[in-house]
Amino acid sequence: MAILEVNELDSGYGEVQVLWQTTLKLEEGQLTSLVGGNGVGKTTLLHTVMGLTRAWRGSIRFEGREIIHLAPHIKADMGLVLVPEGRQLFTDMSVAENLEMGASPRRAKPYYERNLKRVYEMFPRLYERREQRAGTLSGGEQQMLAVGRGIMAEPKILMIDELSLGLAPVLMLQLFETLRQLKTLGITLLLVEQNVQMALAISDYTYVISEGRIKLQGPSWEVAKNPHVQTAYLGLS
Amino acid sequence: MENLSFLIDGLLLGFVYGVAAMGLTLIWGVMNVINLAHGPIIALGSFGVYLLFSRLGMNPYLALIFTGAAGLLLGIVIYWIAINRVIEAPHLSSLLATFSVNMVIIGLGTAAFSTTPRNIDYSLGSLTFNTITIPISRIIAAVASIIFTAVLYLFLYRTTLGKYVRAVANNRAAAELMGIPSRRILALSFGLGSTLAALAGGLIATIFPFTILSGGVYELKSFVIGVLGGLGNPLGALIGGLALGLLEGIIPAFLPVTWVPVLEFALFVLILLFRPTGLFGVKK
Ligand SMILES: Nc1ncnc2c1ncn2[C@@H]1O[C@H](COP(=O)(O)OP(=O)(O)OP(=O)(O)O)[C@@H](O)[C@H]1O
Ligand SMILES: [Mg+2]
Repeated sequence: MAILEVNELDSGYGEVQVLWQTTLKLEEGQLTSLVGGNGVGKTTLLHTVMGLTRAWRGSIRFEGREIIHLAPHIKADMGLVLVPEGRQLFTDMSVAENLEMGASPRRAKPYYERNLKRVYEMFPRLYERREQRAGTLSGGEQQMLAVGRGIMAEPKILMIDELSLGLAPVLMLQLFETLRQLKTLGITLLLVEQNVQMALAISDYTYVISEGRIKLQGPSWEVAKNPHVQTAYLGLS
Repeated sequence: MENLSFLIDGLLLGFVYGVAAMGLTLIWGVMNVINLAHGPIIALGSFGVYLLFSRLGMNPYLALIFTGAAGLLLGIVIYWIAINRVIEAPHLSSLLATFSVNMVIIGLGTAAFSTTPRNIDYSLGSLTFNTITIPISRIIAAVASIIFTAVLYLFLYRTTLGKYVRAVANNRAAAELMGIPSRRILALSFGLGSTLAALAGGLIATIFPFTILSGGVYELKSFVIGVLGGLGNPLGALIGGLALGLLEGIIPAFLPVTWVPVLEFALFVLILLFRPTGLFGVKK
């Protein structure tokens, strides 16, 4: 059963339409990736799903329930969590406080200790730096914290915008490994990635978006084999 | 020796200025709203303590607690009526909104209380060391101000709700994404800013006579202190308050008292020109 169904979603900024009848489904427990060039509307899609950007038309169903008009914090309470592009940490607060803030949804509270242990096990660096101000962390550490904060929210669906952007290869591999772990925990994942090879390799299902429209979709291994897709939409050769 | 008395008087009063400024700076720091209703809320705080004291015979310091609580409620109500709808609009809109609240409170307050000065007829006497005399009401006001500051800090840094306030101040969109109902937190923050204003007003009423209009002076001082300490920085506000209080204690030794506001305002302009992030301010 699809846990999230986005149907014919239109959205944009002011007069400018960015998303055109975007339709996308996340199957429970799967890792889905959303790939596409710069400025095609990936972040806009995630923001519209969360309610940070207002939807113009369409529907967004989470576990069968229409959520298009709900505020972001209510969606987070329901288990729909976004790790936003650019990390958006609470830079003036400590690492530990950032993780604590991640656990704000009511459903996350009972699992606080368990999730905190889990995050610190995944990212021992964060434990070492738990008293440090988040704004002073390195880029890689900030990305770990952003993902860790998302995990603290006890998500049913975790959407991650640009997981690997600007990260060194070793750390990138570590974060992809983290995704695999999260998947085994039963969390449904939506990954927006610049590193298309990696996204195709790790995900179960892939959507290709271009100019605000979903151009193609399919099991990731199929998309990976399609030479036309790679040249036409992803700028790969 | 008389000068030393002035200095201590000024310093003690500076703590109260600090509390008033903290309220202004908290609201600015959390939601980037300049609260032009700050002065009238300070005046309402004075009236709160005055009315509880004169009508119900309540001890002024007990009355202060109730007045602070009323300030919280008032601030939350003001947020939902006047601020929430313009919170995403350009600064000018929220400025106009708080200015309207200012006008409403002044208008109703003048109608209800007129503008004849009131004072709280409750004296605790003074302490005398050699030639220095310090009114006890000022000492209590300073101690109370320190307590309020400490409580605010404990709230912001030790409680989950207080951390929500800091999170929303730091990155409102991220706070929403993590499940924090940011508008409710903004309402609470406006309430807290108003509480601090009302508490400062209440303390002022135990020291000086006041009218519904006298909050304006303290609002101006709060702005001066705000830029001194760096807007959005509560501890800076307290230090700024002390600095201003000291200054008010020193100036009369050299110049007529009427020069105090002039110099304060000159200071305000100078800091804005040369150190816009505040003298002790960290950049927000
Ligand atoms: N806040 C905004 N106001 C106006 N236009 C915006 C805003 N955010 C994004 N856009 C525009 O919407 C379009 C899609 O942007 P979006 O950020 O969704 O792309 P993206 O696929 O996430 O790109 P990238 O891979 O570079 O992150 C772009 O043309 C962008 O300029
Ligand atoms: Mg993007």
